[in-house]
Amino acid sequence: MMVIDRRKALLFGSATALRLLLFFAFPSLPDLLTGRVEISTPVTSFKRLQEGLFLYTHNVSPYDGGVFHQAPLLLSLFALIPSSLFSPLTSLLYIALDLLCTNALIQIAESREAGSSRLFTSPRKELKWDSIAIGAAYLFNPFTIATCIGRPISVFTNCAILHAIAKAVSGKPMSSILALGLASYLSLYPILLLPPLILLCYDRQARDKKETPPISTFAIKYTSLFFATKVWFLYISNILTGGSWEFISSTYSVQLLLPDLTPNMGLWWYFFIEIFDSFREFFLGIFWLHLGGYVGGLCIRIRRQPLFIITTLLGIFAIFKPYPSLSDTSLYFAMLPLYRHLFPLMRYTFFALATILYATLLGPAFYYLWIYAGSGNANFFYAITLVWSLGLSEIVADSLFAVLRDEWEVERPEMKGKDVRQI
Amino acid sequence: MMAPGTEFGEGDRDYRLTSPAKSSKKPPPETSESIRVRGLVIVSFWAVVIFLGLPVWLWTTSIHRARLPLQEMLDWADGKACKPTFPLQIAIEAPFLQDAEARHLMRMTQHALDDLNEFSAHHLRLRLAKSLSSPSGRNASIPESQDLEIGQVFQSYEDLDVRDDSALTVRLRAQDSIQAARSELQSHSTILDVAYAPNQTPSVSSSSSALATFIANRLQELFAEEQAIIAYILGQSAAGIQSTLHSPYVSPATAPGSREVRSRPNRLINPEMAARLASRMTRSLKYAPTYHITMSLFTPSASPSSWQIESALAEYLTPLLDSISAVSNFTVDTQVQFHATFSPSVHAPEHDADHGVWTLQEEDLSGFINAAEWPLSPSIGAGPTLNFVLYVPDQTTSPLVVKGTQASSWLIPHWGGVVILNPQDASTTSVGSTLSKEAIRPALLTFSHQLLSFLGAPQTLPSLPLQLQTLTRIRAASLLLSASSTMGSLARLTVALPSIAIPETVSTAVDATLSHLRYTCNALKEGKFTEALENARIAEAEAERGFFEKSMVGQVYFPDEHKVAVYLPLLGPVGVPLIMSALKELKRMWASRKAQRT
Repeated sequence: MMVIDRRKALLFGSATALRLLLFFAFPSLPDLLTGRVEISTPVTSFKRLQEGLFLYTHNVSPYDGGVFHQAPLLLSLFALIPSSLFSPLTSLLYIALDLLCTNALIQIAESREAGSSRLFTSPRKELKWDSIAIGAAYLFNPFTIATCIGRPISVFTNCAILHAIAKAVSGKPMSSILALGLASYLSLYPILLLPPLILLCYDRQARDKKETPPISTFAIKYTSLFFATKVWFLYISNILTGGSWEFISSTYSVQLLLPDLTPNMGLWWYFFIEIFDSFREFFLGIFWLHLGGYVGGLCIRIRRQPLFIITTLLGIFAIFKPYPSLSDTSLYFAMLPLYRHLFPLMRYTFFALATILYATLLGPAFYYLWIYAGSGNANFFYAITLVWSLGLSEIVADSLFAVLRDEWEVERPEMKGKDVRQI
Repeated sequence: MMAPGTEFGEGDRDYRLTSPAKSSKKPPPETSESIRVRGLVIVSFWAVVIFLGLPVWLWTTSIHRARLPLQEMLDWADGKACKPTFPLQIAIEAPFLQDAEARHLMRMTQHALDDLNEFSAHHLRLRLAKSLSSPSGRNASIPESQDLEIGQVFQSYEDLDVRDDSALTVRLRAQDSIQAARSELQSHSTILDVAYAPNQTPSVSSSSSALATFIANRLQELFAEEQAIIAYILGQSAAGIQSTLHSPYVSPATAPGSREVRSRPNRLINPEMAARLASRMTRSLKYAPTYHITMSLFTPSASPSSWQIESALAEYLTPLLDSISAVSNFTVDTQVQFHATFSPSVHAPEHDADHGVWTLQEEDLSGFINAAEWPLSPSIGAGPTLNFVLYVPDQTTSPLVVKGTQASSWLIPHWGGVVILNPQDASTTSVGSTLSKEAIRPALLTFSHQLLSFLGAPQTLPSLPLQLQTLTRIRAASLLLSASSTMGSLARLTVALPSIAIPETVSTAVDATLSHLRYTCNALKEGKFTEALENARIAEAEAERGFFEKSMVGQVYFPDEHKVAVYLPLLGPVGVPLIMSALKELKRMWASRKAQRT
């Protein structure tokens, strides 16, 4: 019998109430937010899911129209919802997802992994926020609320990623890898979280069991488990779509080859609109290599804090992914408060937050000017997108600096509190 | 992003060299662990660049050039792969002669033909027809030519074609009433009837025969124009080869072969004939697989208000179009235009009292078609458009003819033809009348003559089936040469422009073209001319498709400097930290190795 913490219940109750209020007291708000380009991208849009669902329930291949680019498992999940109660039940489903995410986040916070991992203990680890507070920071973040009301599919991916991390810090590597397999089945990019997650599982297992098996066998075992999970999910999808493999080209090759250049909050669409056809594939490869290149460097340098590797990678994904949206940013902002002890070491907090605020407020305005008023052009919107990415990059870079300084201060404790410069 | 592997130092190091009192501490040396980690991080980034980035670059920016059989294509263009020959079979029917006599006559006629023939690619071969019972039990006299309906003509033509594949059949008859041999070619069949006097009957022993010479001369006359045209076509291609001999892309080895091809046709065609043929060739239409024919009825008043054109077409023109369908396909459209007035530059018809006709001046013929006001859209259907205009003059100015020649129809090169249909009776011009099928018939016959001359059929042959056969052979020759030269152009283009991509479709089109060209050449050698024409048409279509492939020209005009502009904005800022950190690391490694050695 699970003991439900009173504060947790209060938190969950108030968050649920807020979301229910927004869903049902403002009936036009969900559709408004679903249509916003910052929340819905071509691969996560709720409207496209509805279209695919309609085709699926009417025995037409949902990938025929070239509009639907999401995984087939979601179709079978949503097909279970009776269509007469579709809108209220999906709202409840997304609220439940938000609560599940928060639950996982609270688990991660309670494990104290952020303050002290197996190989490293921060000298500032006492400076931390309560796990409930971290959950509240996630649930009441306006980005998270907007994402919940807008109902994109990336919420499922976020939930899976958070559960993967939660299971890893609880010492259950098998479930962790399974959850990551689900996440990377739904979107493609969580594959890049596999190395740090394996490091995290290994560290946790070594700490709990006080034994250190060779890391290479551990890595090989769980990598093969990961790929077996992927194959299993693909096989199920094959069965669900009636024995055809065309969903692979509709879901994964859309992420890889970017045929849909709808404007979004990312950096890719503008570039690929204007690139010459003969160089397009080259630059697609370069952009994906750029995204994946950080994994190796980070894993080597910050080996001792795998959870921070994952956090930073989530931030990098939110900036450099092919179709980023507010949900990726809200996931990064969910993990960041775990590192409260680094905040005093960060140098540009005000500047970064001001940039983010500025971009958040001007982004919809410039989009409106471009698309609806017609008095601006794409450069307006892309410029604000660049400012937003700049703000996020500042936070990522600053937190990286902070964690490196934190590690360095273990060697040079006399430098605590002094102003330092990187050379 | 930050450079990996950082080290921290004091806030202000600038005072290090100035004031000895405030000597700042140098940062403590790095641990070997952190140096190792830094090196590993740099290596990891560079590993991504080299092991993943470089293959991606090579794989995605390489231009796909499919393999083409360049040497074979150039051989075809130079005429080395195929020497087209046109062996025509002539069957000799001599039912009233003994077998031995007939063979002897045939041999002598063949000798005479070979002596007369100067163009070895186009030669006539005689053979004795199997003794068939003559249809409808004719007697020895020459049958009179019958004015058959066109539909029946082509029925019998097809029967003949099925029975034997000779180009021409010579029927020999002895006739008592004549002194010298006579011949007559029926206008609707491929039978040449030769009548000879009884004293010209060949015997086995004689070495020469006036009859043999007569037959040989007659046959040579009949096919002279076709030989000249084919020689001209082959000569044109040889001249084209000669002009490319001086280009750097053709190897000198082709010189002897083309010289040989060049010399032969020049001996055959004298300059006037060449000039005449040249002008005829430029007047006839360029080959297209489909032509569109527009039949228009123009009348300056409101009558006749309609015409029975559909039934007239079905009866008089469609059979001709069907029989030419082996050469090209045709689609037909019709229109009627009322109150079609002349353009202001054309003089009004003058009344010629001597002949009782109204005349148009010859200079006005080119302006007769009032292109500004008459709706003759230049391109409706697939393929080039031929306009055939039927003009019914007003009752006040009829009959209308051209001054001088009294002609009522003329050709406009590359455009079409005009026929002035002078109404025979008043009924055709009364209000609300319909132009009947019979009234349209003579116009349609004129149009079919004009159409045949547009297609390049020789005019001297009186027989329509022979004209069609000649057309088949001429088209096969010209298409063969056109497809071969396209292959050559494509090969030279491929070699000259190394930066264009050659997609797989071009490679398949080239293979198809070459195989069909081979079939054409073999079919020509065996004398199967319709098959040769079919294959030549397919070869031409495939060659055009391969040559005009749109995706080939995407990269032609992409200068290399633009590549800098494409790569540098992204790879520059990403590459600078990588390169600087790699250089620093290498310097450090070099310094540490030197320190180790000393």
